[in-house]
Order: sequence, then structure tokens, then C-alpha cells
Amino acid sequence: MSAIHIPTLAPEVVFHIGSLPVTNTMINAWVAIGIFLVVGILVRSKVSNLPGKLQNFWEYIIELILGYFDQVTADRKKSLRFLPIAGSIFFFILLSNWLGLLPGTGSITVGNNFVLRPANTDLNLTLAIALVSIVASHLFGFLTVGIFAHTNKFIQVGTLVKSFKKGPLGIFSAIVEFGVGLIEIAGEVAKVMSLSLRLFGNIFAGEVLITVITSIVSVVLPAPFMLLELLVGLIQAGVFAILSVVYMTVASAEPHGVEEH
Amino acid sequence: MKIIETVHASEEVQTVETAAEGGVLASLGINGTLFAAQLFNFTLVATILWFLILKPLSKKLTDRQKMIDDSIKNSKKIEENLAKSEEKFQEKINQAKVESNKIVERAGEEAGKAAEAVKTKAKQEIETLIDQAKKNIRHEREEMKMEIKKETAAMIVLALEKILSEKITDKKDKELIDEMVKKIQ
Repeated sequence: MSAIHIPTLAPEVVFHIGSLPVTNTMINAWVAIGIFLVVGILVRSKVSNLPGKLQNFWEYIIELILGYFDQVTADRKKSLRFLPIAGSIFFFILLSNWLGLLPGTGSITVGNNFVLRPANTDLNLTLAIALVSIVASHLFGFLTVGIFAHTNKFIQVGTLVKSFKKGPLGIFSAIVEFGVGLIEIAGEVAKVMSLSLRLFGNIFAGEVLITVITSIVSVVLPAPFMLLELLVGLIQAGVFAILSVVYMTVASAEPHGVEEH
Repeated sequence: MKIIETVHASEEVQTVETAAEGGVLASLGINGTLFAAQLFNFTLVATILWFLILKPLSKKLTDRQKMIDDSIKNSKKIEENLAKSEEKFQEKINQAKVESNKIVERAGEEAGKAAEAVKTKAKQEIETLIDQAKKNIRHEREEMKMEIKKETAAMIVLALEKILSEKITDKKDKELIDEMVKKIQ
């Protein structure tokens, strides 16, 4: 009789550092951090006008993702402004997803727990990334259109006050807009949830699928699914990053009807 | 037949307990401490990626793009300047050609004038020389005439002296004359 260790929704605690529980997803994230640190130091130390192979590769990738960002922002300056957040999200999610496909993930155990598990199968991480993305989009909104104008997109008190000069129809319109603003706030929460749950769901499902397939037949059969997971990892990283850029672009755009005021 | 038993890892240890304690969020594995830790992890990744990879490379890309744009602008300027220079060069060449033609014409005219002047001068000099030669010849002829006269007079005097000292016959007279003529010649 063989047992299939299907991963639980919650990450498994491998050990503790003081009172901090260290989960297997966290170890995966640390591996990704280590890789980025090594690659980053290598890239940073050899940056020159005449790029070497490593710099050339990274420049190609950055140019590629900036091209996708440009399709959303329609402005290279904006794309470069969003790059620190959106670029980091893309690279981190991509590497974390692909690290989950390496041998050892879902096979090396300590006690009853796996030591490695794809970082994005932890809702804590996907939620943290989604929250950073949405908070960043609002920060860009505050910096670009101003604190009052951006806040007025959600809590339209200013519009309501101004509407008193426009008569009953204007007041009615402002009340509707005020309600829409409150719905927008709920929309922001939905953005965080959709971003985090989409990534978590896709990667977790993939992990479960590979675990089940590997448990049934551990040779050859998992290969096509792993290739599929490579693609899923790339697509999910891309979707998350592009959606973040979309949110940041929308947040940093002038509110509707601002020209009329 | 292979029997597969499905075991959720650490299910009994963690998930059930946390679900009971924290509700839906806990059953999904959401935990304040873990959330903070993962938030820190992502912040760390973003910092590393930004400062070590994205910032230097995006700056390099922007700089390179600027360099390319500047080079294109400069090359356009250079092309424009080159075209202007070629136009100016052509203008100067045309101007030089016109001027050179004028100079050649003027030189031709001056050469003609100089040749004419030289010719006139040479003519005058030749005329002067001829006049001088004529004068000299005339003078020499006069001198010769005078000398001949003197010689003739002297010979006549000598002849007279001889005639006076000897009896002169016709034959003698003729011989004397011939002798004198021979001397003169």
C-alpha cells in the first residue's frame, strides 16, 4: 500500500527560528532569494556598455517585459516607473513556480513534512504580493494625480459637495457616484483576493496534480504535466505582473470627468 | 491491485486545529506571522531584484537608447552639415572656376598687351638701332670720304711733287696714276 501525500492548503511548518515558524514554502522563497542575490551580484559587478552574455540575457528579458508593460501603459516612462514592483513580482513568481518543479520539491521530507514546496502554494505569500501590488498602485495614484483627487475616486465627498450647486439632477448623480465609489473600494479588496487566489489556486492545483501523477506512475507520465506546469508558471507570473501594471496604470490615471470640474 | 491511500500531510497536526481556532482564513493557511514573514521575503526579493538587476540594467538600457537617439540625431546633423558643406564646396568651386576664367582672360589680355608692348619696344629699339647703325654708317662713310679726300690730296701732293721733280710723259703719267690708284685700293 502506497500513500499519496497531497499537500494541505496551509504550508507545513518544517522548523522554528525562535517563535517564527519556518514553512516549506518559506524555504522555497529563501532559495529564490539566494539565487537572485547571487545572480544579482554577478550582474551588478559586470554591468557595462558592452554587455556580456549574462547582462545581454537579462537586458533581453527586461526589454521583453517592458514591451508588454508598454502595451498597457502606452508610455515607456510609466513602464520604467512600475518596473521595480511589477518586474520583481514577475521574476519572483516565475522563479518560485519553476523551483517547485525541481527534483526534491515534494519528495524530501523531515518527519511527515516536505522540506520544499512551491512558494506560491502558500496563500500568505500570494496575498502579500497582491497586497504590495494594490498598495503600490494607490501610492502611484497619490503621487500622480494627488491625494485628494485619488481619494475622491473612492470616497466622492468632493463631488457630492460640488453637486449642491448643480441642482437636484446633479445631486442625484453625485449620490450615485458616491455609491459607485464605495463599490470601487470593494473592488480593490476583490482585486487583492482575485490576484492572490488565482495564483495560489493555479500553482496549488498544479502541485497537487503532479503529486498525484507522480504517486501513480513516477517515471515518464509526470513529464508532460511538468512541462505544462512550466508554462503555467510563466503564464501566472505574466498575468500577475501585467494585472499589477494595469492596476497601477488605472490608479495613476486622471479620474473621469476631471476636465469638467 | 495497488491500493492508494490519500494522506494530507500534517493534516491532523496543523490544518484541523487551526481551522477550528481561526476559521476560514486559518483553514486556508493564512497566519499573521507567516504573512508578515512572506511579506518581508517579497520585500527582500524586490529590493535585491531592483538594486542588483532591474535598476542598473534598466538605467543601462535607457542610457544606451539615449546614446542611440543622440547618435541618430548627430548623424542626421552630420549629414545635413555634409550636404551644406558639399553645396558650399560646389559654390566655391563654381566661383573659383568663374574667377579662374576671369583671371585667365585677364592674363590673356595682359599677356597680349605685354607682348604688344614688348613688340613695340623691340620695334622701337630696332628702329633706334637701325637709325644708330645708319648714323654710324653715314658717319663712317663721311669719315672715309674725308680720309679718302685726305689720302687723295696727299697723293695728289705726292704726285705733284713727283711730277714736278720728273718730266712726265704720257706713259709716265699713266703709270703714276695706276700706281696711285693701286695704292688707294
